[in-house]
Amino acid sequence: MGKRSSRGPDGTIAPRKRQKVVHEAPTSEEIHASRQLQQLLSFSQDPVRARHGLQSFKLFLDELLSLDSNDADRFKILRGYLEAAKPAEDDENPVYLPDIMQTWSYGGQTNNDNIMSAVPVLLALLLKLLSQSLDTVQYGLGICRTLLQKRQQELIARNLAADKGKAFIISPTLRMLREAVSFDGGAIARPLFRARASMLKSLARNMGIVHVGDEAEDTKRPSTRTNAVLFFLSALRFLHPEAKKELLSQRDIVAALTRDVKQDPPYLVRELLAGLRSHVLLDDKLPREAKAGLLNASTLTRLSALYQYRLDTPAEDDPSIADIAHEFLMTACTNPSCGVLRQDSGFYPREIDPNAPIPNAQLDDLGLEAIVWMDKFKNEVPVRNYTLSNFVLNLRPWSSIKQAELLTSIFRAAPEIVAHYFLNNKSFTFEPKLSATWIGYAAFLFNTVTLPIPDHFCRSSSFPELPPPTSIVIDNILPPPLNQKALSRSLANKSNMISFFATRILVLAIEKLDAAIKMHRDPSHSNKTIWAEAARRLVDEFCQRSPGIKDMINAYRSIPEGDVLQREAASRLLRLCYEVLPQVALMAKFDVSLFLETSLSRLSKQEVDDPRDTALSLKELENLLAIAGYSPGMRWFAASETLTLSPFTLLLKVCVDTPHGVTLETIRQVLNFVAVEQQLVPADEKHPGLLALLEALQALRHSAPDSVALVWPFLDNCVTRCANAPVKYVEKIQEVISEAGLSEGSVSPIAMAMLEQLPFVAAKEGEQATLRALSRFLPDFLGFSAIAGETRPLLDLLFSKMLTHLADSKGKLAKAGVPEGLQFQHNPWPLVPEAKAGEAKHPVASQEKGKSELIMDAETLENALHTADGLEADNSALVKWSTKTADELVDEGYLTSLIALLVSEHTSIRKEALVSILKAAAKIKQSEYDEKEQVWLLLSELAETARDQIIDGPLPSPLASFACHALHILRDPLSNLYPKVNTFLTRGPFWNLDRLPLVDEILSEEPVVGDTFYAQTNWLLGYLIDGLRTPRDLELFHKKRAKGPVFERILALAANPYMRLPLQTQVLRLLYRATCIEGGSTTLTTRFGILNWLEARQASCTDNNEAALYGGLRRRVWETCDQGRVKNWSKGGLGD
Amino acid sequence: MAPPQKSDEEVAAEFTSYYLQRATKEFAEDLDKVRAADDFKNDALQMLVSALQQGTVLFSPEEQRRIVMASNHPAPKF
Repeated sequence: MGKRSSRGPDGTIAPRKRQKVVHEAPTSEEIHASRQLQQLLSFSQDPVRARHGLQSFKLFLDELLSLDSNDADRFKILRGYLEAAKPAEDDENPVYLPDIMQTWSYGGQTNNDNIMSAVPVLLALLLKLLSQSLDTVQYGLGICRTLLQKRQQELIARNLAADKGKAFIISPTLRMLREAVSFDGGAIARPLFRARASMLKSLARNMGIVHVGDEAEDTKRPSTRTNAVLFFLSALRFLHPEAKKELLSQRDIVAALTRDVKQDPPYLVRELLAGLRSHVLLDDKLPREAKAGLLNASTLTRLSALYQYRLDTPAEDDPSIADIAHEFLMTACTNPSCGVLRQDSGFYPREIDPNAPIPNAQLDDLGLEAIVWMDKFKNEVPVRNYTLSNFVLNLRPWSSIKQAELLTSIFRAAPEIVAHYFLNNKSFTFEPKLSATWIGYAAFLFNTVTLPIPDHFCRSSSFPELPPPTSIVIDNILPPPLNQKALSRSLANKSNMISFFATRILVLAIEKLDAAIKMHRDPSHSNKTIWAEAARRLVDEFCQRSPGIKDMINAYRSIPEGDVLQREAASRLLRLCYEVLPQVALMAKFDVSLFLETSLSRLSKQEVDDPRDTALSLKELENLLAIAGYSPGMRWFAASETLTLSPFTLLLKVCVDTPHGVTLETIRQVLNFVAVEQQLVPADEKHPGLLALLEALQALRHSAPDSVALVWPFLDNCVTRCANAPVKYVEKIQEVISEAGLSEGSVSPIAMAMLEQLPFVAAKEGEQATLRALSRFLPDFLGFSAIAGETRPLLDLLFSKMLTHLADSKGKLAKAGVPEGLQFQHNPWPLVPEAKAGEAKHPVASQEKGKSELIMDAETLENALHTADGLEADNSALVKWSTKTADELVDEGYLTSLIALLVSEHTSIRKEALVSILKAAAKIKQSEYDEKEQVWLLLSELAETARDQIIDGPLPSPLASFACHALHILRDPLSNLYPKVNTFLTRGPFWNLDRLPLVDEILSEEPVVGDTFYAQTNWLLGYLIDGLRTPRDLELFHKKRAKGPVFERILALAANPYMRLPLQTQVLRLLYRATCIEGGSTTLTTRFGILNWLEARQASCTDNNEAALYGGLRRRVWETCDQGRVKNWSKGGLGD
Repeated sequence: MAPPQKSDEEVAAEFTSYYLQRATKEFAEDLDKVRAADDFKNDALQMLVSALQQGTVLFSPEEQRRIVMASNHPAPKF
């Protein structure tokens, strides 16, 4: 029996003590011949001798491997040894290096850790060396195959499973395996993987044996984990896809791979990321599921911890680890072939079928409520991208640009995650605070709002049948942290920067909302009503999340005057409100003229140093001008207390003073539009309009800059007078034409005003300088007017009259006369042929060609002008109202639904509705409702009016429609129509069935409350449109009345040049409604000459879209009328 | 002679620099406060600059060009 082992099984003889592991350094000797090597390595049971041989060989290999030694002799020695240690060729189970293998085995039997460690160390070195030369590959392959034999496999497994503390055994074994798996291009990777039970033994555990210590891991003494990871990466590199798939499905290994990645040395992290990227992410042959096995939420989260990796010190040009990790995650999370990203369906959550058939009747009755899932996703959104949606919750987009970029890229690739993310990440709020975190969060939200809406809201090539859930659309437009409270507080924050950030986000959000609304109104929807309802709901939801227009106006008001960047953004926000949410914008009493004046006075002072600031201010001005266009009652020619000149003249001054090169096209267009509308200049398409005046002023500014300032008060006086009494000057023109002995002629009314006002300047004391300036300006102005096509003899006559007042003592001016041959230098006139041929840059150019050919197609026309039936019968209203409170009856539309039933085709329903209305009126009267008296009065009068009528047939729709619309007015005592509606109600107990209520009061009388004519007209048109449904209703519209038929008055109204596009469109909607009624188009044509009216309107349009609208409506009238009758009526004038 | 036409990239770069310059001028006081905030560390400066300049996306390339080109046309001298 041999010596008792210190680790004997009995353990009773001596108390067990931890043995101190002493690594005695082995001895060695220098090697000079193959034979010597053979002897040294021959098997010996003496561990000292065995280690001596192994150590000598190791040093020999070390030297061979060191870069500077390429000793042919030594190599010869090695080859000699290898040749000698080679097995016989006919050996069935050839064992290479049999002595070494036997020593290893013996080491195993005797638990000799030193030998167990020394052999793999040696083999790792040897394989490394042999892989370097083609001649020696066969030996290497032989050794590798030997390792795959059962005995060696057991030894490897035993080594790998050694105690955690025995890194000196585990690490060399892993190194050896790494050399083996990659030997000769992975020649034995496949069989090696087959023996995975041994070869991958304890791999996961070994990946967890990390470097311990305060100092960083030494690259020359890599930790067990480092060796394990490197072995794993080599295996990934050389394994075939099936094996790789199997390897990646080992959950413990995959989990261990990244568990400690944050503490790994930089070179290992780089290798890991590069390896996984090349051999997993971008490996096309590897199936997606295999990749998904590796890239689960926890792997992604651990890799994202590398954003904060601190051990890195990259060279200057090298990317940092954070950069590499970012690149990796970007690819992994946004490239569908990487296995993480799964195809979602945009704004439609998982589990729902947006094309599920829902019976039309059900949709018509219940609207969006017929879609069971419509409101289901307000608190939770099921997603297909489960991994990503969990992973993104761990990112910190507010503190790192890269993480924010990753997150928004994921949002872009999988839009379904947006709503899910914000619903599950409620801890963070947008509550304003001037801190880096808030700014980071605001920037991230800005980027989220910037993301485009997926095409068709999903991934298919056309819109699904049903609209996406409103809550999800709105969460993508204004993510939940951007709620009304937070946004309002941000806008009102005393820090301008916070307010600016909120403003920018809102600008983006409204633009996105606009895009979403347009998608809801796409003509390709088969179920337009339901999409339209969804669009309305979307706008409602938006208004609930967005701050009110008042907050926006206040924010704009509080911006310091010189801060053009903020002013531009805030004015843009207001402009967008007017364009996209007019119903909200018009609610506020916003007098844009004040802001316009401030902006104009700042620009006209020219105090800014940087011309780019001026250009930015001009953007603000453009925004304000657009708002002025949308808000009725803009006073262009009234100077305020703060300004000496009217807004019109100031705008002119801005044009003249702005540096050359700054584009002012928009402003010029607005000025010209106003000038033509106000009859300051001839409304002839061949006339450049205001450009002659502008050119003369600019010429003066060039030739005598000081003189321009003197001209402005005179000019302002003239334009104001001319605008206030245009007829007077038109008449004066006629007088001058007769005086000149001409039969006709053209001259600008503004020139007449100048002639009229000049004597007053001349008569004033101390105005010599002004007169001198006018002496320079007036001849030029008349000269340019002549170029513009005005009649020269008339201009000569005007000039001779002016001369008597001008400073022309030496008669120079008289001699020169109205100058000839002037050229427009600052304004595009006359249009050069190239400009005409190219894109129409000038507004006049676009009007010329074929305006009458502009016709909108029927579908687009329907989208633009069709309005849903406001009095559509909903018989369930008869039941629903009874359980509701007075507030609900009035405010939530139950009453209007009841009223609408008075126009039902069925007598019984009408009767029942009447009874219900009377009951409801009584209920309201007894309630605490604020406006109960007026509502009761309205309902009672309506009932009284309808009582007898409904027995014979439906109540005329205009009366029912009036009652519905008037109810809204009564709810709001601040409404500008409140006095008129009440006066109407107190006039008598019932209404005249033949009259349309309030038409005269609104169209012919003063508006009572301020400047609200257009707002009231808008309301009137709204109720008239809803009230025009049947041929009987139509009769009421064309019936002769004291002030003319209602249609005639409405058409006259539309000819009002101050009426803006939205109101004009309302008129067209009314006409469109009429064309939908049988005989409507014929009546419109034969009674009101509508075809000619539309043609004339079309001809006067400056905008092609508008012209196409008129053209489209004209075609519809023609197509829907009794063409034979119309041809007869027009004696063949129409229809050819 | 007309100045050479700038490429879109040049215009965008110039506009971004103008935008930032303008923003730093208008928010000088607020920016000082942010820099003094407790959480202003690591990437914060980079984040702040990026947050400020992201507003440039609100301007179309034409608008950017219009503003940038204004500096090439200083007010005429008389």
